[in-house]
Amino acid sequence: MHASDRHTWLTPVLAYLAAALILAFLSHSLPRMLPGDFVTAMYGASDVTLTPQQAADLRALYQDDSGFMAFLGRVFCLDWGYSYAFLAPVSALFFDALPWTLVLMGTAHVLSSILGFVLGVEAAWRRGTRTEKAGVGLMTVLEGIPELCSGVLLLLVFALNLGWFPAAGAQTAYADYTFLQQAADRLHHLALPLTTLVLAYFPGNFLLARAGMVMVMKSPFVLTARAKGLPPIRVRYAHAARNALLPLVTRFGLRFAFMITGALVVETLFSYPGLGTLLFNAIAMRDLPLIQGIVLAASIMVLGINLALEFVYILLDPRVAHAS
Amino acid sequence: MHLDAGQKIRTDPWFLTGAALLGLLFCLAVFGPVLMPWDPYDTSFIPLDPPSARHWLGINDGGMDIFAELLSGLRHTLIFGLTAASAGLVLGSVTGLFAAWQGGWVDQILMRLADIVLAIPSVMILILLAAFFQPPPWVLALTLAALTWPTTARGIRAQALTLKHGLHIQAARHMGGSSRYIIFRHLMPELFPLYLINFAAKLRMAVFMEASLAFLGLFDPSLKSLGLMISFALKYYYMDIWAHWLMPPVLLLSFLIMGTTFVTISLERVFDPRLKSAL
Repeated sequence: MHASDRHTWLTPVLAYLAAALILAFLSHSLPRMLPGDFVTAMYGASDVTLTPQQAADLRALYQDDSGFMAFLGRVFCLDWGYSYAFLAPVSALFFDALPWTLVLMGTAHVLSSILGFVLGVEAAWRRGTRTEKAGVGLMTVLEGIPELCSGVLLLLVFALNLGWFPAAGAQTAYADYTFLQQAADRLHHLALPLTTLVLAYFPGNFLLARAGMVMVMKSPFVLTARAKGLPPIRVRYAHAARNALLPLVTRFGLRFAFMITGALVVETLFSYPGLGTLLFNAIAMRDLPLIQGIVLAASIMVLGINLALEFVYILLDPRVAHAS
Repeated sequence: MHLDAGQKIRTDPWFLTGAALLGLLFCLAVFGPVLMPWDPYDTSFIPLDPPSARHWLGINDGGMDIFAELLSGLRHTLIFGLTAASAGLVLGSVTGLFAAWQGGWVDQILMRLADIVLAIPSVMILILLAAFFQPPPWVLALTLAALTWPTTARGIRAQALTLKHGLHIQAARHMGGSSRYIIFRHLMPELFPLYLINFAAKLRMAVFMEASLAFLGLFDPSLKSLGLMISFALKYYYMDIWAHWLMPPVLLLSFLIMGTTFVTISLERVFDPRLKSAL
């Protein structure tokens, strides 16, 4: 029993560690496979002619060839290089943008998970009614609309035509606000990108929770709970829904690729000053150190979140811990 | 059971709607550019000309016909999606079947490899590759396939393992059927619904990725794509271009993703409620 316990948590930890190493190695070696270097890429096509001394100095500033292990060490020390488009250290830019992304993505996830789960459970409970059928239909259609499209539509209607919400940014610049006013201003800016993301994540959660709940409701233990005379809300949530939660958590990891891509697009669309917009600007200016830094740091964060989810899954489902 | 499911799928309204949408878009992508009188790269028209009888959707800022651009973009988006989805499906199915059939350490190694690849966020690798090397789209499509095969491999492996111990396969084995015979004659055809579900799910993902990455400016800007069109049109958001320049690619992209979503969801529902790992 003890050995199998270790097996359950050791496998994902090793897999994620290997994935992190592969990612780090790729982001170390891919730029080095380019012909030329950062300096050639930046000044090769420009009107500026560098003296050999200047070129050598720039090379020393932007790159070093001390090998993969030294690179890993610098990744840990948050020394991710120097952005030549923003003229600032990559890690400073990254940590400036990170809070905005966390607020946007975090709120979107919490809202869409709770909404999707509760509505999905309730829909499964009312299976076959007209409202439920309409709800499932609506969610299936919404699931088919990518963030790029719903975002453009929301931007058109609510920001440009009606003018209810700001079209860009995360707060009014240089405004002299009290704390409460500032919070309201930030929420006002958050509304449209948040709605776009919730519209993108919530239907998937709803459909999954509903499907899981429909399966669980057929099990004998739900019948037992009802026969015991427990109040319906307790049967629904304490008995049935807890088991319907499992597919939601497993699918989360698989849907993550969609979610990151969607968040990049939504931030860019609404010029929200998070990692997505930073990455977009870095791409537009071909700022290779910045792209490299954001991609590596964001990937490692994603790996960490997914790994944490594996443990949440083991906690939620005791069967996994005791399997095999 | 398969016959029954086949009957069910043919009467499922979601499947029919999705298939009709996809069929229509495929026809547009295949025949549209052929029937179109204008070349999408011809820049000789009046820039920002509003829609007219000659140019149904008007002209963009570079003097190109928007309708011709749209059809060409749809075609490129679909080619990317189909390449990534079919390559991912083949890679995943072969790996899954091989792992299930061999068992033992081959299975262990392949599945641990699948765990690792599954953990890697594929967008990030695509962004790195696209930003550094600016490769042609088919390279990115194959890279996407190389990063998304594990979902398919896991599903196929699980199902193949159940089938492997089924009575009919045991019988075929006892009759002296070779591995090759059993795999091609029994195992592969019986996994057919799984191929369909995985293909539809992968197509959806690949189209979504292509549109998003093109929107972010990571694809060759000279190649038309729906995402790229949206990104260019948005630069003129303050002008009266919403109806004829911005909305058409937005709607086409939505229809494309909607079609694949409907097909995936209804296939999953009809064939097996337990096969949920593909989306």
